[in-house]
Amino acid sequence: MTYISQYQYYENGGNVPEDANWGSYQWVSLADIVTNFMLMYAGNHSLVNNVERYKVLFHAKRAVQELNYDAFKEIKVLELNVCDNLRFVLPSDYVNWIRVSLLKDGVLRPLTENIQINSATAYLQDNNCRILFDAQGYALEPQYSDIDLDRLTGKTKSIYLNSGSPYNGFYGWNIDGAWYFDFQIGARYGLNTETANFNPTFRIDSKKGVINFSSGMAGEMCILEYVSDGMENGDDSAVHVNKLFEEYVYAYIQYMLVESAIGVQEYIVNRTRKRKAALLRNAKIRISNIHPGRLLMNLRGQAKWIK
Amino acid sequence: MIDSVRKTVLAILNKNNYGYISPADFNLYAKQAQLDIFEDYFYDYNNQVNKENLRQSGTGYADIKKQLEEVIDSFSVESVLTQVTPTTNQYSLPADYYLVNKLYYYSVLLASGTVTLLSAPQLIDGAANFTETIRPGDIVVNLVTNAEAYVLSVDSPTTLTLSANIFLVLGEGYSIYSNTALREVERVHQNRIFYLTSSLLTAPTTTFPAYVLSGNTITVYPSSINGVTDIKAQYIRYPLDPKWTYFPIGLADSEPIFNVNAADYQDFELPDADEPNLIIKILQYAGVSIRELEVYGVAQKEEEEQNIQEQ
Repeated sequence: MTYISQYQYYENGGNVPEDANWGSYQWVSLADIVTNFMLMYAGNHSLVNNVERYKVLFHAKRAVQELNYDAFKEIKVLELNVCDNLRFVLPSDYVNWIRVSLLKDGVLRPLTENIQINSATAYLQDNNCRILFDAQGYALEPQYSDIDLDRLTGKTKSIYLNSGSPYNGFYGWNIDGAWYFDFQIGARYGLNTETANFNPTFRIDSKKGVINFSSGMAGEMCILEYVSDGMENGDDSAVHVNKLFEEYVYAYIQYMLVESAIGVQEYIVNRTRKRKAALLRNAKIRISNIHPGRLLMNLRGQAKWIK
Repeated sequence: MIDSVRKTVLAILNKNNYGYISPADFNLYAKQAQLDIFEDYFYDYNNQVNKENLRQSGTGYADIKKQLEEVIDSFSVESVLTQVTPTTNQYSLPADYYLVNKLYYYSVLLASGTVTLLSAPQLIDGAANFTETIRPGDIVVNLVTNAEAYVLSVDSPTTLTLSANIFLVLGEGYSIYSNTALREVERVHQNRIFYLTSSLLTAPTTTFPAYVLSGNTITVYPSSINGVTDIKAQYIRYPLDPKWTYFPIGLADSEPIFNVNAADYQDFELPDADEPNLIIKILQYAGVSIRELEVYGVAQKEEEEQNIQEQ
């Protein structure tokens, strides 16, 4: 990123989009990282010599990916409406989820992950439970498995939580927003805390790339907070790193190249490894923004009476 | 320098009546000698780099590497490459290249068109609007001759003043590229390009392009890089063949007289400091030619001593 005038920064030099350069000074681009590394850390008198640029690029991107997974605080958020199929297709740059919420009546309700299976692939079977195959030898599959069908039609039981209701804690069926219950027979023992939530539950099917919801989510607005790998859908010119992590990325590239090179003394490999780890620690502390003002705000709550 | 070298060579050969070499033979030996020494520069350079890494070289006047770099850099040429076939990603390297050092990709095309009026050193295109997009320092390339120049000033929406007069014929096409968006194209070995293009993380992009070399042709990746003058090379060329030229000889047995003004005259391109080396090399070839082992032996011994001294 070159230094730009205030006019370029605030109004993109009169071009569209106006906000193209807002906040740009906090980033260092992937192209700059590779260029700087080749210039300052690779060469005749450096630890790294005769290295192809694509190797530097590879390790630079890996560093950016690793940072995106746990060090950066860059959370992507996607809002989509969940239709009757109770499915939310994962975003194209999805790597892992942070929180799934239901947006209802202007309130964001964090949803609970249901660790029990709520979706399955099924094969068609005959009366003798033998699997049916097509002409190519592949097993025939129905559109929905029974467990999927139950979930989609609201036949799957879930717990009803409403302290003001006599049915509080009962298992029932949520069909189109209305609850139906069995007649109570015998005693009830405890609560399944995994699913004890008033809100719909979800389960992520990573293989199929979807989030499957329980039936209460039909027609509702879902907000997914997730992390990506920072690769910006393959657009190298858009990949960037916060400047607080710049030195770490150089150290990471250097370590990876030295570590995989033949004939490099182990003490040098160790030196680069320690430097990399130390820089990552420093950068994480810096980006966590721990400063007196923030601590003060938290400490002010210490004398609060909890009623 | 070439006349001085020839005179010295002949003087050494004639001293003991070893024989005589004709101007044509001398030119052949001179070419070989120059190529030999030219190649040695690269090995010497590498030796000096290794010495630096071992902390065995000095700075200032003792900086031998710097001297070698200066000589090698005197053969450095920059040239926009010619496209093999229109709209393909293949380009031809110049015939005189010895070593391709860098390839550049002009990644941002600002404007293109044809010259509608000739005025040196300007680019005038009546259909253009340069004021909006072109800035001083941007690069202008003639699409016919591949000659390039820099924009010195934007005089009007249709006129640019250039650093060189690169348009000599009306109707020649031009492209103008941003001078801030040059990308280095990395050389990749043939056996790596498949893996490179198959990998999500390393696949060549317009930000990080790559090329493979086969014969005198380079193939640039990604294939979207296919503009006529998109690729520029910085390379080390071969030295020009030296030629000792002379006036037409009147008598059959008379000595040819050096003619420095002949059209095909070409001096050595190596620095003057290489004169002793050139003489030694040419003497070696001459010694082999006239079957005088003594001449060859003396020249070789001299060269070995010089090599030891330089190390």
